[in-house]
Amino acid sequence: MDKYIEMIRVRFLMMLAYRTNYYTGILIYGINIGAYYFLWTAIYGGKEEIQGVSVVQMTTYVAISWMARAFYFNNLDREMAQEIMEGKVAVELIRPYNYLGMKTMQGLGEGIFRLFFFSLPGLLIVYFIFPIQFSWDLSVWSLFALSILLSFFINTQLNLLTGITTFFLYNNAGLIRAKRVIIDLFSGLLLPISFFPGWVQSIMKFLPFQGISYVPSMIFTKGFTQQEAWAAIGQQFIWVIILIIPIQLLWYLAKKQMVIQGG
Amino acid sequence: MFYVSMFFQYISQYAKTRLQYRADLFVEFFSDLMSQAINLIFILVVFGHTDKLGGWSRDEIIFIYGFFLVPYAVFSAFFNIWNFNDRYIVKGELDRILTRPIHSLFQIILEGIELESLLGAITGIAVMVYAGSRLGLAISWYDPFLFILFVIGGALVYGGIFVMLACISFWADAKTSIMPMMYNISNYGRYPVNIYNKLIRFVLTWILPFAFVGVYPASFFLGKNEWFWYAFLTPVIGIVFFCLSVILWNYGVKKYRGAGN
Amino acid sequence: MNAIEVKNLRKEFKAYSSRSGLKGAFRDLFTRNYKIIPAVNDISFSVKQGEMVGYIGENGAGKSTTIKMLTGILTPTSGQIQVNGMNPHKERERFVQTIGVVFGQRSQLWWDIAVQESFRLLKKVYKVSDEQYEDHMQHVIRTLDIEPLLDKPVRKLSLGQRMRCELAAALIHNPPLLFLDEPTIGLDVLVKLKIREFLKEINEKYNTTILLTTHDLSDIEALCERVILLDGGKVIYDGGLHDLKENLADGKELHFQFLENVDLPAVKKATNGMPVKWEYDEKEQVFIANIENDDLLISQIIAVIVAAFKIKDIKINETSTEEIIRNIYEKGAVEVG
Repeated sequence: MDKYIEMIRVRFLMMLAYRTNYYTGILIYGINIGAYYFLWTAIYGGKEEIQGVSVVQMTTYVAISWMARAFYFNNLDREMAQEIMEGKVAVELIRPYNYLGMKTMQGLGEGIFRLFFFSLPGLLIVYFIFPIQFSWDLSVWSLFALSILLSFFINTQLNLLTGITTFFLYNNAGLIRAKRVIIDLFSGLLLPISFFPGWVQSIMKFLPFQGISYVPSMIFTKGFTQQEAWAAIGQQFIWVIILIIPIQLLWYLAKKQMVIQGG
Repeated sequence: MFYVSMFFQYISQYAKTRLQYRADLFVEFFSDLMSQAINLIFILVVFGHTDKLGGWSRDEIIFIYGFFLVPYAVFSAFFNIWNFNDRYIVKGELDRILTRPIHSLFQIILEGIELESLLGAITGIAVMVYAGSRLGLAISWYDPFLFILFVIGGALVYGGIFVMLACISFWADAKTSIMPMMYNISNYGRYPVNIYNKLIRFVLTWILPFAFVGVYPASFFLGKNEWFWYAFLTPVIGIVFFCLSVILWNYGVKKYRGAGN
Repeated sequence: MNAIEVKNLRKEFKAYSSRSGLKGAFRDLFTRNYKIIPAVNDISFSVKQGEMVGYIGENGAGKSTTIKMLTGILTPTSGQIQVNGMNPHKERERFVQTIGVVFGQRSQLWWDIAVQESFRLLKKVYKVSDEQYEDHMQHVIRTLDIEPLLDKPVRKLSLGQRMRCELAAALIHNPPLLFLDEPTIGLDVLVKLKIREFLKEINEKYNTTILLTTHDLSDIEALCERVILLDGGKVIYDGGLHDLKENLADGKELHFQFLENVDLPAVKKATNGMPVKWEYDEKEQVFIANIENDDLLISQIIAVIVAAFKIKDIKINETSTEEIIRNIYEKGAVEVG
């Protein structure tokens, strides 16, 4: 376990070292939230509420989604693709740890870093600029914390899955890009799942995407009752478990393929 | 002339490599198409809840999106510099580039060519035709010419901004992920700028002029008189930003530290 | 005219140091410590057309940085460079037309396409006419024996095969000046020999100037009459390889192999009082006596050793270049007349 925690720490330090990234990151997240705020005000166009969500709630939703994204988001798929194409994975495999586990921990290190140095200061700034409603209810915050942790795992698992496909496709840049836009839309980052037509919503129930952004954001904006929140978290948890299966399966096949091709 | 002939040399090499990996080509087409569809879905879903966006109708917004796809496709085909930092700075491939008698930026652009992205232009034109016919837009004889002019202008705006972002690597000591993040911002140029406040509008017009890749030039074809002035500024902004980026590039190359030290 | 003319050349890098720990890393976000390190510190030299010069030094001595400035990749912090009568960085595109560069650690060829496609592209890049290409490259391809590799993609080649192709690629425009940065790194002996032969040949045929950096001193011995030795960014020796050996290597090495089990203290004891430095090469199981070039001393030592131990083999060698260079680095400077 120690080595995984060390990985989190190292990654944390690495993130701190890239300061251009840090400053521009805050700026860009700010602009993103700002632009979506105006986009949504325009969409509301004076209406009190859409689908039972008020403008203020919507703004809060957007802000919190982006801040949560800072935590769960990572580029593990791209990193893996690169390591695989350069043949570095073979080296990783002889190291005394689980490669996928190590990647996850790297992502977690990055995520924790962004949460504290990105999201918290960012949220504070956004709080003063835009009309946002924060709940100070401790139970909401703790449910939210639990939920974004599960978001992180679902998103990371999807990234690992995409990353592993590099073994089978020569160049999976396209797939990585496609996965990214799909997650942006269907996770509820760009707009709440409740805005979609009914039939889309019912399909979404059977997909893991809404566990990434929609669930934590709804919990935070109190769009869910406590009961609904627990049910949603339960669903997230189930997805985390289910996604282990294809990952292990593909990983097994990938390792076999690697033996044949020699990495 | 030499540069034009080099351009075709590289294209033919590119085609040969690409055809070796036909499966990837297919996946790429498909994923491009998917991301275009998803952006459309966003617009459709939003207009399921409202009729107007800052005074613009659904079909107008779709038309803007269709227009945006064309310069964006041109940009993606010719300015594939997302991995500039990793490939050329960290791995030091810029060393090789700099020992060849062609302008370094031109070589990097040529090596990154991804002609398959041009397919996005076809999707874009199809979307424009669909939205345009629903809006009952008429086409004048000069429209195609202006369209080409605006597309080139828009692609140059994009190219200029992303070349400038790539230049950061000449100074910054470590990798940055600014480019993918900037991609998000570039999307805001697809919506009418009048919905934003002054600051964001200013940024999208003069600092990161993504509005010139979408809403400004498209508004000309939509007959929105109040934006004509901006529409005709598109090629000017494109040339200015691209020239600035080349100047910055030339300056940055002097600061290049070399890899592996 | 000199092919290369360098005066008071200097290149500084900013080296950031990060503070330790999490708190330190957080402070680094706002202010950072850095030091200015001169990688190349005020060097001057010139190379005549047609010379083959070895440019050597330990890792971090500033070899690559110099080469990169000479080839126009890096801009010098200060000093003057004239290569082929041009300032490499200022007139980069015109300048690189007149040089060929091979970086041993990095490929100059395109990874995914066949070697001959790379050649064709480079032929266009350097604006080489068909006749010139035919005339010159036929010969290069034959000498380097890469004909059978031409239709293979670069990523499928072995290191030795790739290196030969790299060399051919650097010569497509038949440049009067060739920079080779570690061209034989990781290659087996046969390929090395072939490459050396080839370099000698083009040097004779076209009077090509060659500047070579390498860790393998046997390359230098085989090719270069002149060496420039670098340490800590400064030139510490510039002159004939021969002179370097004459002046510094006025020593001999006596190699002994014994039939019985002998250890280092034992041989040291046997030659006690004599001016000799013993070494033991474990891999070869050879005892080496480093001594001055004095016929009498040599006989004395051999006599003593033969008397004390049963001998399997004896050799008398000139001190190797490697040994000389190591000595120079240990002393830090060279004084050659």
